[in-house]
Amino acid sequence: MYIYLPIAEISMHIGIIFGLGGGVGFLSGLFGVGGGFLMTPLLIFFGVPPAVAVATEANQIVASSVSGVLAHMRRGNVDFKMGGILLIGGVIGSSLGVMLFKYLRDVGQIDLVIKLSYVVFLGIIGGLMLLESVRSILRSRRPGAPRRKLHQHNWLHGLPLKMRFRRSKLYISAILPLAIGAFVGLLAAIMGVGGGFIMVPAMIYLLGMPTSVVVGTSLFQIIFVTANVTLLQSVQTQTVDFMLAGLLLFGAVIGAQFGTRAGALLRGEQLRGLLALMVLAVCLKLGFELAIRPDDLFSVELLK
Amino acid sequence: MIRAAMTPLFAACALLAANMLPAHAGRVVADLSQSNVSITSGFHGTELLLFGAVDGQDTDDIIVVINGPPTDIAQHRKAKVAGIWINVETHIWKGAPALYQILATRPIAEIADAQVLEQFEIGADKLQLQVQPARPNPAGDMPQASALLPSLTRNMAATGLWPSEIGPVKLTQGALFRATVQLPANVTSGVYDVRILQFRNGVAFSENKTNIYIQKGGLSAIIYNFAHDYSLLYGLFAVAFAVAAGWLAAAAFRRN
Repeated sequence: MYIYLPIAEISMHIGIIFGLGGGVGFLSGLFGVGGGFLMTPLLIFFGVPPAVAVATEANQIVASSVSGVLAHMRRGNVDFKMGGILLIGGVIGSSLGVMLFKYLRDVGQIDLVIKLSYVVFLGIIGGLMLLESVRSILRSRRPGAPRRKLHQHNWLHGLPLKMRFRRSKLYISAILPLAIGAFVGLLAAIMGVGGGFIMVPAMIYLLGMPTSVVVGTSLFQIIFVTANVTLLQSVQTQTVDFMLAGLLLFGAVIGAQFGTRAGALLRGEQLRGLLALMVLAVCLKLGFELAIRPDDLFSVELLK
Repeated sequence: MIRAAMTPLFAACALLAANMLPAHAGRVVADLSQSNVSITSGFHGTELLLFGAVDGQDTDDIIVVINGPPTDIAQHRKAKVAGIWINVETHIWKGAPALYQILATRPIAEIADAQVLEQFEIGADKLQLQVQPARPNPAGDMPQASALLPSLTRNMAATGLWPSEIGPVKLTQGALFRATVQLPANVTSGVYDVRILQFRNGVAFSENKTNIYIQKGGLSAIIYNFAHDYSLLYGLFAVAFAVAAGWLAAAAFRRN
């Protein structure tokens, strides 16, 4: 059965939509990530215009972050103060990102910038994650190896506007989380992701937050960043496909539950290693698309 | 008898008047099984039956041209820059048909010669279109439409909107004809022209025109209009729906 998506203006098989939602939902539950970095390229692959894929995925991530953050809130794993500073930065960054997106679309370079952002950021994060998990798998086989310090003090701690973040047990400048929030927000708006895969390492390695509050706090601020992207894209470009978002969401919610259960069967380092491989696979796929001569050098796009 | 004698005269008129056939043509009468198509949630392309009567002979030919609403089409050209393939040039085709299809009783090259086909813009490669650079270049160079048209027709054929194959028209005893118009799933809303041309001995003999009206319907139309007419409200609604769905999902699975 085919379903016509009124904003994407394409007809898509309902099985593909539920399959994508369920499959990506399963992986996001398994690895504890949002899954936007998988869903957006897949939607584009299945013929959804890039602008619609990015804006619609933002709308879907709102739902999955809300559902994820509730569990973390119950366990007290959300630093609302840190989340608040991050989301102020995130709202500013994502607003700029939506404007930049519109500009790039007008000059015909949005596909290139989306692909390049994916290649660069997935490559960096995937590579680092793979290194880290290989190292920790090796370390677990050699007990007694020295543990690293929780976080080191450097020049970043000398910045003004210092604030105390009780839940994160930090006393640092608010400028740093603001800047991180803005940068991740900008990327989230352009790549059609929540940005958790960049935010989580940034919180651990740059801010030095304890790992227990990182995922909950990241999810908390992603809700606001993706809600902001959904709103701005709705107003400026009318590219949020409510029908597509709703159907994806349905599959994703169910898939995520199975993923979470499957995740309990695997060890942390193994999970991170698998996630790293998946991230690198998406990076390589998009990298090849840029590097290999296309079959046809010309392409068309119907304008309104 | 008189009619037969007048045939060459008609032919001459047709040639002279180029695209315009004499007002007294009216030798083709055509209708569609359905002239209003609505793109609802279950839409995945559709077929329409075009049928009609023609005052003609066994040897006559019919060519049907289905021509979509005028649209601007951006055409990008890629080149290798710093090791990756990127769009380096964009041209805009102004008012090009969003859909362009031909149906005919025989291969069109056998029906009339290239000059005649060009006159009536029959065949995607015969379309007379305006093309301009997306951004005016400093040198003020204007692109050659004829140089870019083959790649446009190739790209548009790949989308299914300008199929390169010519669909069949069945003409019975030079009097009744029928053909199937295939509307692809990615067709856009708008008014489509359907031109039915009768050819005799390589000359366009008479013409008739009808229209297909395509618009979004049902839930598709509601969502599309909501998104465009009340975009802020639409955005707020989309966010509220996602928050509610996420909350519901968390609540539902917590109990299990």
